[in-house]
Amino acid sequence: MAYIGPEPAESFTSFATQEFSTSATTSYTLDHAVANENEIALFVNNVRQQPGSGKAYTATGTALTLSAATASTDTMYCVFLGRALQTVTPATNSITAAMVGNDLISGKDALTSAPASTDELLISDAGTIKRIDAQFFQSTPAFHAFLSADQDSLSDAATVKMQINSETYDSGTVYDNSSNYRFTPGVAGKYFIYGAALISSAASANLREAEVYIYKNGSSIGKSTFNYVDQYSQVATPTISIVDVADDNDYYELYAQLNTQNSGNWKALGDSTQQRTYFGAYKIIGV
Amino acid sequence: MASLATKIKLYCEANSKTVSFGSEGNVHIQDDSNGQGPYIKTWGVSGLDKPTDSQLASYETAGNTEESNNAVRATRKKLYGDIGDQLDEIYKDIDAWKARIKKIKDDNPKE
Repeated sequence: MAYIGPEPAESFTSFATQEFSTSATTSYTLDHAVANENEIALFVNNVRQQPGSGKAYTATGTALTLSAATASTDTMYCVFLGRALQTVTPATNSITAAMVGNDLISGKDALTSAPASTDELLISDAGTIKRIDAQFFQSTPAFHAFLSADQDSLSDAATVKMQINSETYDSGTVYDNSSNYRFTPGVAGKYFIYGAALISSAASANLREAEVYIYKNGSSIGKSTFNYVDQYSQVATPTISIVDVADDNDYYELYAQLNTQNSGNWKALGDSTQQRTYFGAYKIIGV
Repeated sequence: MASLATKIKLYCEANSKTVSFGSEGNVHIQDDSNGQGPYIKTWGVSGLDKPTDSQLASYETAGNTEESNNAVRATRKKLYGDIGDQLDEIYKDIDAWKARIKKIKDDNPKE
């Protein structure tokens, strides 16, 4: 059959019904209020009854009144003619932007904390709506920590792992701040990794060279150097920032080195409030 | 106790070799902060084998002396003052300069 204009959506329609527990009475209560008896079809023992005053029954509101009492052995039910129940499942791809309210998002409950990495967002992928995990928009795993007290008695010319112990934050519990002092992101990706070491030769004109390293899986992949061979110093803060691609089990550590003129020990300076020697990293998104 | 770097330096000098540490050095000493102390991570002194523990231990006394003398040298250098000031001092009164330098040395003797 042809239509003028769009073909109407088709669906099945059903009517609300009510079955009654019968007894020797003429008065029953309807589940839904009606204006009059013509809004229901009443069946007793499967025989439809005639509505109207002076006929088989009348109804108003939720009151149903029979002209003769039923018996407990009777069966009785009614159909609410004016109360159609209809459920329409929209056709695939039939909900367009114009049908969506502007409060589609703002009308929903707000998430009151940072989304979990597996929470999902909707995104238009070249015009096609897709869902995507929140983790792709989060610069985590991430951490930042600093040395809360001096790391002392470090050997001349030795490259020493910094025992960075005080965490400012550790999103994902990816930094070991008490044993191995290492960052293990556990999630493959590209990471910005940084660090600094305020190191002292403990005497003036005693610092020949100061270095800071970032180690990956036990080997250096980044180094920053201050060289004072022609004019010795005492204290320096070499800093370093690198970008690296990690797999799911790589780990990173911060090392520092100081060469003294007098072959004596050196130390990395730490403080509980002033960040002097620190180490951090975060995942880079969008690359 | 002499540092590992000092003992390596003496070992190399005894074998007429030059060692250097740091960014362009030929020996890398590392300490993983695990309580094991510093160790030789890489050895790159051409023509000389990496020293054994006993070889390094044999330089303990000499190493202590070297480090003590290094401290003396550093003290002396600080007391000598700026080289430009010393040249001016020499120009004005070389004998007074010599006397001042001698006193610094006498007050800070090497072992």
